[in-house]
Amino acid sequence: MKILVLNCGSSSIKYQLFEMNDLSILAKGTMEKIGLKGSFLKIEKPNGDKVVFEGEIIDHQAGIEYILGVISSEKHGCIANLDEINAVGHRVVHGGELFNSSVLITDAVIKAIEQTIELAPLHNPPNLKGIQAVSSVMPKIPQVAVFDTAFHQTMPEHAYMYALPYSLYTKYGVRRYGFHGTSHRFVSKQACEFLGKDYNNQRIITCHLGNGASLAAIQNGESVDTSMGLTPLEGLIMGTRSGDLDLGVLTYIMDKEEIGINSANTLLNKHSGMLGISGVSSDMREISAAVAQGNKRAELAYNMYNYRVKKYIGSYAAAMGGVDIIVFTGGIGENNDFVRAGATEGLAFMGLEMDFDKNKTIKGTEAIISKSNSKVTCVVIPTNEELVIAQDTLIIVNG
Amino acid sequence: MAQNIVEPIEDYGLSKKSKPKSLFSKVGIIGFGTSGQAIARIISRQGIEVTFIETDEKRIKAGLAGLERDLDRIIGNWGLTESDKRAILSRVKGFTDYKKLEGCDLVLEAILSNKRESSVEDRKEIFKKIEAVVEPYAIIATNSSTSVITELSAELEHKDRCVSLHFSTLSTEARLVEVARGLHTSDEAYDNTAKFITMLGKTAIPVDESPGLVTVRMFVPLINEACHILMEGTASMEDIDFATKESLSLAIGPFEMADKIGLDRIFRWSENLYREFGDMHYKSSPLIKKRVRANQLGRKTGKGFYTYDENGKRIK
Amino acid sequence: MKVIVLNCGSSSIKYQLFNQLENGEKVTIGGEILDHAQGIEYLLGILISKKYGCVANLNEIIAVGHRVAHGAEYFNDSVLITKEVIAGIEKAAELAPLHNPANLAGIYSINKLLPHVPQVAVFDTAFHQTIPPRAYLYGIPYSLYEKYKIRRYAFHGTSHKFVAKLACEAAGLDFNNAKIITCHLGNGASVAAIKNGHSIDSSMGMTPVEGLVMGTRAGDLDAGALLFIMQKEEINISVANTLINKHSGVLGLSGISSDMRDLENASYEGNERAIKTLDVYQYKIKKYIGSYMAALGGVDLLIFTGGVGENDSNLRKLVLNGLEFMGFEQNPETANTRGKIAFLSTPESKVKVMIVPTNEELVIATDTYNIVSKG
Repeated sequence: MKILVLNCGSSSIKYQLFEMNDLSILAKGTMEKIGLKGSFLKIEKPNGDKVVFEGEIIDHQAGIEYILGVISSEKHGCIANLDEINAVGHRVVHGGELFNSSVLITDAVIKAIEQTIELAPLHNPPNLKGIQAVSSVMPKIPQVAVFDTAFHQTMPEHAYMYALPYSLYTKYGVRRYGFHGTSHRFVSKQACEFLGKDYNNQRIITCHLGNGASLAAIQNGESVDTSMGLTPLEGLIMGTRSGDLDLGVLTYIMDKEEIGINSANTLLNKHSGMLGISGVSSDMREISAAVAQGNKRAELAYNMYNYRVKKYIGSYAAAMGGVDIIVFTGGIGENNDFVRAGATEGLAFMGLEMDFDKNKTIKGTEAIISKSNSKVTCVVIPTNEELVIAQDTLIIVNG
Repeated sequence: MAQNIVEPIEDYGLSKKSKPKSLFSKVGIIGFGTSGQAIARIISRQGIEVTFIETDEKRIKAGLAGLERDLDRIIGNWGLTESDKRAILSRVKGFTDYKKLEGCDLVLEAILSNKRESSVEDRKEIFKKIEAVVEPYAIIATNSSTSVITELSAELEHKDRCVSLHFSTLSTEARLVEVARGLHTSDEAYDNTAKFITMLGKTAIPVDESPGLVTVRMFVPLINEACHILMEGTASMEDIDFATKESLSLAIGPFEMADKIGLDRIFRWSENLYREFGDMHYKSSPLIKKRVRANQLGRKTGKGFYTYDENGKRIK
Repeated sequence: MKVIVLNCGSSSIKYQLFNQLENGEKVTIGGEILDHAQGIEYLLGILISKKYGCVANLNEIIAVGHRVAHGAEYFNDSVLITKEVIAGIEKAAELAPLHNPANLAGIYSINKLLPHVPQVAVFDTAFHQTIPPRAYLYGIPYSLYEKYKIRRYAFHGTSHKFVAKLACEAAGLDFNNAKIITCHLGNGASVAAIKNGHSIDSSMGMTPVEGLVMGTRAGDLDAGALLFIMQKEEINISVANTLINKHSGVLGLSGISSDMRDLENASYEGNERAIKTLDVYQYKIKKYIGSYMAALGGVDLLIFTGGVGENDSNLRKLVLNGLEFMGFEQNPETANTRGKIAFLSTPESKVKVMIVPTNEELVIATDTYNIVSKG
């Protein structure tokens, strides 16, 4: 059983081909600059060879054709025939309130995804293009949509409603949706498996800290709150996103700087976060290096980052009436022990005794980083969204 | 030892049939003054290569410096990031030789012609030079709103590919581009142009070929009328601006508008429209004429109706 | 020995006259005047009038204390008003364009009418000036902090400090060696985290719109959501400000009222939207308590104050429900207390939970008296 996982962005396609029998990755690559000058496909073969295919890729349709061509080629491929692919799983960013789990793609599903374009005007259209391209090249193959928002659809009203006029919710669907659902779901389950706990009877806080970052509160297997909102801007401080912000500050800046909605969006999404505070970079590794050289602003940015994560942990502990497991994942969560330590320091009152020495030694592997007598268990669990998409696809296709 | 290999992707197409050429991967611009730069920025922002032609190396350098300043200003206003700027600049290249336009899917003439009488002749000449180097399907367009495209394309071999494209002069952020077709313009050329405008994230407004199209026809009388009111002493400049803004729900008033567009440009527009229509209310106001003669052209020279600092911020 | 306390808003003046501050404070007269221009002159007239007055002679007034909304980064304590102080309040008006000018108008009026009476400014923001940078800065370009001083200032400082101190006395705790969370729930609402006598975080931000759900203010909201709404509804900045300050919060969500008493009544009658709104309201407070608990590294004392906090027992129960894990035991006998100092926790409870009625005017009067009699 082979499953192709596609993540179609506005001008890029990332793919992985899984052999589901042993969950091995047969092929993996990234296509960029689709529809633009200088488009290319970059793959890394299992033997470590890197191949770049250059040429004109005019749209997602052509892109997917080339990807399938490469996968099935004698020289750089891994399958003899496209029929060997049993199903395709797509990452779809926004499922609105219409999808609370992964689904087999039908005409009705496509219509529904089209309906949520309003909420994700940048992301859903390329996702749809990918689906349509696969349909036209491999009309018979079953396709599955896995939504970033679906896992969070279990949030109760008190967590997803904003204190705005109710009509804005009924009119435009303004509410908290949350993102990274696939990752929060995967690592929370994986943590329970790793610890031998019953997933349906735990209070878990998952910290997905990557370039984008969010926390989720998961109670008895269901997401009950998460830090990203209607858009991925809310919540934690991120690489270039501000996270939580006084709305009065937003209108104040727009007024003082005389900027419109577009520039305000660019300001808060591209110029802010760790980059904006530190003035160094949006990359935690570069900020760490700056801290080591005594850069005060970089240090401040770090302190703010950790403090924000810590406050959210406290907040979700209160939301669930306590916490049993705290999970760190994502590029920063898996590799940055300084963030993990900063975010969990001083939480003994809620039953967390960290093993800070062990924490320092963990990079990108599954591990417990709290002490054995700690009431709350803190773990590092590497995320793997593509694998979740492949597994969801398999389950749905097998009925 | 792992290797790094580069190959052409075309060998891996599922169906080996030849792919249609992707539209608008390269766009040419003739003349790299303020409008040329602004249009280049909009186009390059969308990932399209821009090749511009200027008369000499000095002007190429000055144009690129102007584009960079503009990008810095936008970054300062939070509209773009440093990496956007690098990407945009990397796609814009300037030359003096028209041959470099080879391979362009669309070439837009955006020259600033000061010689009123000869401007049509200049543009016709440019159109011919463009046609000599681009493929027959490539679109040739003018950004001039007061020249008539049928006239500019009259001496070309493939007249059907010519359109008039008018980007908003006042705000490059404006979401519209006026597209006028001439007598010869084919449906295909018009549709492709509209597709191109959509790629830029803007809406194409179809207009009939008429000097001034829609927007310039609106600007000129508005600014002229404001000058009349001022000359009559009915109200002060600031108050006319304020009253117009508030009552017509505009972002800026007529004098601010004139300074932003450039008085030389307003002057040329007025003269052209007056010549075309013979209607007095297009005739340029003496207040504008006087300032143009004194080279007080508005924001770009630091003085027009108002006075500006070097960053274009109004001081008086 | 009388002190006037003035709270000059944009369209009203609230006043109280305090007597005998040195031994047992007492309010002699209080009220509200809606006309601003001549309001203070009328007010002084009333004070000395035979019919309603309580002062024989204006000379009896030894000082006037003003509530001033925004002290920016200039003021971290109450101060005697001098020319320099006035200049500082004027500069801070950039950040509070609706409030500081009204406060200043009050100061100017007293200057004119009672030129020899010393005046004191008590700032809403002063207590929170001890908040550290990691909590007061936003995740936006640092240049915006340098250019406009955009940061968290937080408000209700006078109230947070007053109730925290008073609660410590009642609970036998040392204010300078305790971890305290104060919930000031009135029409405006904010939570503060107080460690060893210093505010270290608070939920309101540069403006009072951030944080908890309030009567008509939205509180925390995805900034992207506001931009989305501005685009969809085609509204400008000033309309957006009205939306988030006047049409949102409890009023917007419930569609009923901005007054929690109306909400409570509607929820007893089974009104769905009222019940949901109460739930959103309480949940946000609960999350802030958890968040500040983490910030403080635990908590010794949790305090409810303000109109809603002092009186709405149903809401308090909703908030406290599920917080037992932090070491708090609810005392069912005191749960329904209204408007007076009381313990909501059992004597054995590790974390003490209290109701402490606030009294900002008294703090202003006391600060004023102390500053004037010292100087």
